[in-house]
Amino acid sequence: MSLHPQYARPRSAAQAVELLGGLGAGAVVIAGGQELMPHVNYGKLMPTVYVDIGALPELKGIREADGVVSIGALTVHRELQKDALVQKALPLLSYAAGVVGGGWQVQNRGTVGGNIVALHPLYDIIPPLLALGAEVEILAARGTRRAPLAAVIVETSHGLGSQALIVRVLVRATSPGTGWAYEKLKVTEGAYGSVNAAAVVAMDGSKLSAARLVIGAVAERPIDASAALKGLLGRPFDPRAAQDFETACASLVTQPMNDQQGDAGWRRAMAGVVARRALTAAVARATAR
Amino acid sequence: MSTNLDELIEDTVLLQCSVNGKDREEMIPPCTSLLDWLRDDLRLTGTHMGCMTGHCGACTVMVDGRVAKSCITLAATVQRKQITTLEGLKQNGALSPVQQAFWDEAGFQCGFCAPGMLLTATELLQENPNPTDDEIRSAIAGNLCRCTGYQSIVRAVRAAARAMEQTKQP
Repeated sequence: MSLHPQYARPRSAAQAVELLGGLGAGAVVIAGGQELMPHVNYGKLMPTVYVDIGALPELKGIREADGVVSIGALTVHRELQKDALVQKALPLLSYAAGVVGGGWQVQNRGTVGGNIVALHPLYDIIPPLLALGAEVEILAARGTRRAPLAAVIVETSHGLGSQALIVRVLVRATSPGTGWAYEKLKVTEGAYGSVNAAAVVAMDGSKLSAARLVIGAVAERPIDASAALKGLLGRPFDPRAAQDFETACASLVTQPMNDQQGDAGWRRAMAGVVARRALTAAVARATAR
Repeated sequence: MSTNLDELIEDTVLLQCSVNGKDREEMIPPCTSLLDWLRDDLRLTGTHMGCMTGHCGACTVMVDGRVAKSCITLAATVQRKQITTLEGLKQNGALSPVQQAFWDEAGFQCGFCAPGMLLTATELLQENPNPTDDEIRSAIAGNLCRCTGYQSIVRAVRAAARAMEQTKQP
């Protein structure tokens, strides 16, 4: 083992996982580096070996089969934003990728896999993926497994362990007529959100027949607002329902964050407001057809 | 660990890429950022070091025609890519239309953010030759300027778009 950081470029995903299995905890996986490098630059992380997965073919490309869009973990945010298939099948994800902070530079280099693994509470990709019911394909030494993203992000170690790789993100294509919206409350373009919310809804006439809404950037983990949606299903979505939903969402925030993006009380209040805006916009989109 | 895997682990990296049209081949320490390699090894000091966290955009370069923040790009990961820095923007020894417009419209004051602004504006206009003010502001969201309030920068990008439209070959 060298005193200086070393570097490896495995030729396949299986080789990358085998390599990671044989290296100590100081080894890091690098692709775009947008999450890793600031930590390295500030001395918070001193990798022993950089394992560069940026050229692995298994982690690349976007394709659709049987109504499921399979997105390679190396897909950068700009591709999610511009790819014709993602725009058509997953417009919510495509839109959210375009409001990822840090500007075009970060959107050109940052990958969907890296965004998930970072598990940063203020990032924009996990809430829409959760609202869309995404799954992830994970490769470890014992083989490939497929798991709901919601289950993978529960553990603070992102449930992967340092020896596993996210290979692909799998998302069922949104059915035609589905309403969607992503709302991000932010001080300036390019900034972190103080609250964000991703919504997907289905309407039966003027009534809300199904909905998923996930609130991000307000607590350490994204908040699934299913409990607040329950009372709204099967009813027309009117201003009264929207107001009830806002109140219910705010009460779901039991441990709001208190950081540079805003204090805890304000975050809780804004969680309700942003969730209401997202649901209202999604309903409007579904009924505008 | 098996021998063939051990062989994958290197103490130094052979970096092969093109910088401003010139092929480069150098052995570098694995931890070198693209910013440090460009500034310290190649002496391309038009790429500025700012925050080192990827927020300010002063270190912006292009990787295969797309802007990237070189301070948070590991040099080893740009293998066989085409890098363009501020020094590579000039065309036939003269300022590029974007550079000329920034000069004409005073699109900078202290100039620290200028290299990053110029490269981001260049990618924007390649992709969208006639951007609205909102589109310009959105595109430069990853580049901070503490002098201009962005007014003259937006004006310069608009002027560059007009100039490029006028010189376009029919």
